[in-house]
Amino acid sequence: MGRPTTAARLRVGVARFTSCGGCQLTLAGLHEALLAVADRVDIVEFAEVLSPRSSGPYDLLLVEGSVSTPDQARRISELRRQARLLVTIGACATTGGIQALRNWSDGDAWRAAVYPQPQFIHALRTSTPISEHVTVDALLRGCPIDPGQLAELVTALLVGRRAQLLDATVCMECKARGTVCLISSQGAPCLGPVTKSGCGAICPAFGRACYGCFGPAHPANVEALKAQFADQGRSDEEIGRLFAGFTANAPAFRANARPPLAVLDQPPVGPEPAARISHGFPGVPPLTASGDDDARQ
Amino acid sequence: MHGSDLPGGGAAGPGSGDGRSGSAAPELRFEVEELTRVEGEGSLRLRMRGDEVVEARLNIFEAPRYFEQLVRGRTPDEVIDIVARICGICPVAYQMSAVHAFEDLFGVQVDPEVRRLRRLFYCGEWLESHALHVYLLHAPDFLGYDSAVAMARDLRPLVERGLRLRRAGDAIIAAIGGRPIHPVSVRVGGFSRAPRRTELAALRPLLEQALDDAVATVRLAATFETPAMERVARLVSMRHPDEYPYNEGHIVSSDGLDIELPAWRDAFSEYQVEGSNALYARASDGSAYLLGPSARIALAATQLHPLARRELEATGLADEIAANIFRSVVARGVELVHAAAEALELVEAYRPPDAALVPWTARPGTAAWATEAPRGLLFHRYELDERGRIAEAQIVPPTSQNQAAIEADLRVFAPSVLRLSHVEAQRRLEQLVRSYDPCISCATHFLDLTVEEA
Amino acid sequence: MPGTAEATVSFLARADLDELIQALRAGGRRLIGPTVSDGAIVYDEIQQAAELPHGWGDEQGPGHYRLTRRDDERTFGFVVGPTSWKRFTFPPTVPLWRARRDGTEVSFESAEPEPAPLAFLGVRGCELAALGVQDRVLRDGPFADADFRARRANALIVAVECTTSASTCFCTSMGTGPEVRAGYDLRLTELDEGFLLDAASDAGTAILQRLPVRAATDAEQARASTAVAAVREELGDPVMTDGLRDRLLANLDSPGWASVAERCLTCANCTLVCPTCFCTSVGQASDLDGLDSTAERHWDSCFTPGFARVAGGGDFRARPQDRYRQWLTHKFATWVDQFGTFGCVGCGRCIAWCPVGIDVRQELAAIAPPPESAARSTGVREARFVVRATAPAREPLVQAQASPAPAPVAPAGTGLDFLPAVVRSSFPETADTLTLVLGDVDPAILAARPGQFVMVERPAFPAVPISISRLSEVHLDLTIRAAGFATAELTGLGPGEGVGLRGPLGRGWPIEAAVGRDVVIVAGGIGLAPLRPLVDRVLSERERFGAVRLYVGARTPRDRLFGLDISEWGTRDDVEFAETVDRAGAEWLGRVGVVTHLFDTAEWDGSQAVAFVCGPERMMQAAAATLLARGLAPERVYVTMERHMECGVGLCGHCQLGGFFVCKDGPVFSLAELGDAFGREGL
Repeated sequence: MGRPTTAARLRVGVARFTSCGGCQLTLAGLHEALLAVADRVDIVEFAEVLSPRSSGPYDLLLVEGSVSTPDQARRISELRRQARLLVTIGACATTGGIQALRNWSDGDAWRAAVYPQPQFIHALRTSTPISEHVTVDALLRGCPIDPGQLAELVTALLVGRRAQLLDATVCMECKARGTVCLISSQGAPCLGPVTKSGCGAICPAFGRACYGCFGPAHPANVEALKAQFADQGRSDEEIGRLFAGFTANAPAFRANARPPLAVLDQPPVGPEPAARISHGFPGVPPLTASGDDDARQ
Repeated sequence: MHGSDLPGGGAAGPGSGDGRSGSAAPELRFEVEELTRVEGEGSLRLRMRGDEVVEARLNIFEAPRYFEQLVRGRTPDEVIDIVARICGICPVAYQMSAVHAFEDLFGVQVDPEVRRLRRLFYCGEWLESHALHVYLLHAPDFLGYDSAVAMARDLRPLVERGLRLRRAGDAIIAAIGGRPIHPVSVRVGGFSRAPRRTELAALRPLLEQALDDAVATVRLAATFETPAMERVARLVSMRHPDEYPYNEGHIVSSDGLDIELPAWRDAFSEYQVEGSNALYARASDGSAYLLGPSARIALAATQLHPLARRELEATGLADEIAANIFRSVVARGVELVHAAAEALELVEAYRPPDAALVPWTARPGTAAWATEAPRGLLFHRYELDERGRIAEAQIVPPTSQNQAAIEADLRVFAPSVLRLSHVEAQRRLEQLVRSYDPCISCATHFLDLTVEEA
Repeated sequence: MPGTAEATVSFLARADLDELIQALRAGGRRLIGPTVSDGAIVYDEIQQAAELPHGWGDEQGPGHYRLTRRDDERTFGFVVGPTSWKRFTFPPTVPLWRARRDGTEVSFESAEPEPAPLAFLGVRGCELAALGVQDRVLRDGPFADADFRARRANALIVAVECTTSASTCFCTSMGTGPEVRAGYDLRLTELDEGFLLDAASDAGTAILQRLPVRAATDAEQARASTAVAAVREELGDPVMTDGLRDRLLANLDSPGWASVAERCLTCANCTLVCPTCFCTSVGQASDLDGLDSTAERHWDSCFTPGFARVAGGGDFRARPQDRYRQWLTHKFATWVDQFGTFGCVGCGRCIAWCPVGIDVRQELAAIAPPPESAARSTGVREARFVVRATAPAREPLVQAQASPAPAPVAPAGTGLDFLPAVVRSSFPETADTLTLVLGDVDPAILAARPGQFVMVERPAFPAVPISISRLSEVHLDLTIRAAGFATAELTGLGPGEGVGLRGPLGRGWPIEAAVGRDVVIVAGGIGLAPLRPLVDRVLSERERFGAVRLYVGARTPRDRLFGLDISEWGTRDDVEFAETVDRAGAEWLGRVGVVTHLFDTAEWDGSQAVAFVCGPERMMQAAAATLLARGLAPERVYVTMERHMECGVGLCGHCQLGGFFVCKDGPVFSLAELGDAFGREGL
């Protein structure tokens, strides 16, 4: 009960797994605000910007990237132990990313390699989100994440309030912006109605359909939208490719994702996604609204 | 080969004693297990016996993501979205190399304003990428700090300048592409939406400031003390008769190569090195070569914007830039000036295109092209089938191509750090690697991983 | 003065249309009108007549909208597009107040709306009605939205009668068009050669006088009427609105809800294109330290997943079908209870812009079908829902006033503005609940009635509704459970720290109804907090009431509130007091069991008693059932409902329960009032 102590400076770290690096770059993409944040917290680990590495502990650990090697699976468990709050950022960390499409493929082509020396990559058969390995405390979606949402998360943590992340669909942001809906006016296969808000509805504002890089909304009535696309003349193959994108591995999309190279005709192998989004911990409510539980669909 | 003129100091590394060479001399190892202030995950391994470099390796162990597999069966527009995700710092470069390759195969002519918008787009990426490198990743090495955050405590206005330059670059990309990372509007045939004149005009104040900041950057970079190292490398870049190279031109080299962009494979090839997850590249004669700002300045300086040329000349370092990779920071500064100056002109002259997007039809065949990413030449090649879908892909990023050069430089430079403390030597070696502005995410995108059972 | 048949009708030649445009823009007014953009006709700022969509038309159907090229150059040859005038009267984001913290001091400043004067060109009959509906919701109630009121007052309306229609229109059924009858400054009807114009206000007349018009001929007027009448004929009467409210509310358990939910994406598009939907949320934009924060109002939608969620995680409309039912029944039934009109004006936008083409006309016909005798197929596409070929003449849905009279505004401190108060002391009640004693409280708030609540705000935090748990001449007690960040922030405050209060809000306990009668008070858990001021009042005027019975329950002994008060109540001989806990260890010597056990077998006669109940909803349902079984009349059993509240004054839409706004119609309700709304799942 009561406010979090703000006397000690928060120790903040940024850890990277399998990714393009764009989401942690969004931290640098706060531009001058990055310095304002650095004034108030100790950024103890952010390897792309800082030299020394730290082994923790962290008050806030931002994790980018998916788990795609055995070494990474071990490392995330260690990091979890060191972090008071672990927040995954980006489509790779929250759903497995575009590289998760390999989860659909035949094992022979993508066999995990086993090498005796630790510097060699032991690539796992699958690319999986962080939440399949450890409990995460909050997540920021997107490919990449939205800088406004990142700023809000950091502000919320410093102020001691809940992070205000819009829990709606891309449609809400599109309409707020005044963009004309591409589905009704063009018959475009836009995933906006089943995609979680957060990006500000960039794609329709720039004349192209949403491709779901923020992952599924909750709920996401994908079947109904698929039926509509089919009515509008889209082939099954095209619809399957549409869901086989950057968040293909998210539960609401994965059953409908058909990557072109898939040889399995069913959803990919891999452990059932565990309900691994924490609902806060004693004395501190969850950092974001509880609609972020991917598994509770 | 020049030795180091750094002040000797501190104990030399373990076992190097009097530095005598010969088989009796014990082996010295420098290992940086995880390079920092570079994009991506790599490690450095150097083994010396006396003055002799036994092994110099940049190990890239970042997990591969298999992009050349992921794009198979996709349409050209899907490929444009997917390849951006190879890199968070240079998504524009990937989109530009891909889109030009497809348009070349399909015979698509874009609106002239679209062509200029694409140059402006690239100016934006060079601004944000070079500024990131110079100020956040590299400058701390020269100014004696461990990180930009530490540097900001003493030299805040300096770091703010770097962040301002990034903001200007990001703003250009967002105005044209919707967001600075993984822009959304690049399509075969142009852009899904062209900005309004007012939207680009709004960038003017940011760009005017960016030009001032870029000039200050060159001048600052020219004052940095760098180890006097020299290695005559083969330099490779694009060159165009009328403009500084971004999206069009020929591939040229310091030793007379001049080929069309799609013909990269005629002069270069990729090969695999055991233990690294990134493919290397070499010229047809097996030699290493260097890409990036230093190469571009050396080969195409005549096409720099006059303001950038003037700044380059004022530094008096043009020759050093070609020979000493530590001077790449000056080259980046000059290119920042170029990008800001050209961006201002493009914004000024902009008129929305008649056709932001022209119609096109896919054709089967080979689509190949190269563009100049901030870090150097980025080559894409796609085989398309009868349905216009990707059958095979080859993507060769600049950092992969630079790996051999990095290791060659390490071999030249390493003896000069022997007499320093181990910590200091490691720092210098990392600084050398950083001079290449390596983008390791880019380098590890591929799949052709040979699987060996233990 | 509303336009009537006797008003002079003028004629403006097509070539002179730009004169009208410039006259509308005179004096710095921004003119918003229809224009072609991105494949649709949207409302945007225009500066010359050339920017209007001459020669453009539209073709609309469920989930379908296409621009078409007309074979003439008509300027208004289309109907409504994806934007509505709501965008300009009720924009997506509006600042509400600024909150600052300096040490322990807090200060609040409500935003002063200063909207630029606007002119709306091309307002259709249905849209005029929508403005009128918005007036009733946002301006004419006990609390007004200041920003809406200012924008509305500053907007000049140029209405246009429809001479074409889309297959999605049903203004005829809703009584909103196609004729334009009232609520405009200027009205336009288009003919091939020009426009008929008349003015219905001074502002409209002033504009008309500047235009090169002549009197319209009788023939011209007749042609205009005929054109509009033809549209009426085209549309028929697709929705049987007679008795619709009752039919819908009688079908809350229809299988049709689950059926439409199979297709519904809960994407919120329908609510966002709707010209009358008004649900909003409040967000905080603050600096990194939380010292300077602006609260902003954003468009929200009852379809969003967290819309009906309360602190602690309960969600009153968890299923998509609950949310769809909320929207449809609000639009066509409970809106009538709340505001006296339907919420829907028949513009058809929700049909065209639903990505999967759900058609409300069809859903109404399926879920609340009209009596058999009235249904008739006319062979038109989607014939299932065509009810009658011709809509009967109706009174206009809403008489929108072009220049509205200023509505009474609740005085500062009693509803809309935050006033600072200071924490004097705090008293932990349980592990997660704490009572703050506030001083320096504005007298208007201290004058609160028992059962009322206040919105409590700390800079950079959302405002939360907290019941007042004690009133005195100089102090106000708030008993707060730390269920989320905002309440945790409040329970962490120490003496001297400031908070903002807005209120007193809501309807309190109707104590007068209990005068002369026996009083039964049932409290569960933190439900005792809003009841304590009632107990204080009753005991301070003890002689006015009959027997006073007070039953208090808590989960465990450690969850008991107000230990001192309980001791005192237990020792009074003029109060029958009993308490219980749901479960306890050996150290508890009192009763164990649910609170209803304290009185379910008691012997007193409840037929004339008045009961006041507060606690978790399930506890209240059990208590209510027991009290009714004991003979109390439902109009004399009062409960206090909890719903998600963001504004506390009936404007944000979150707290709706059936036809009620819990914040302003409640939170206290009698069971008779609530009826079916009490205890119905997913309402």
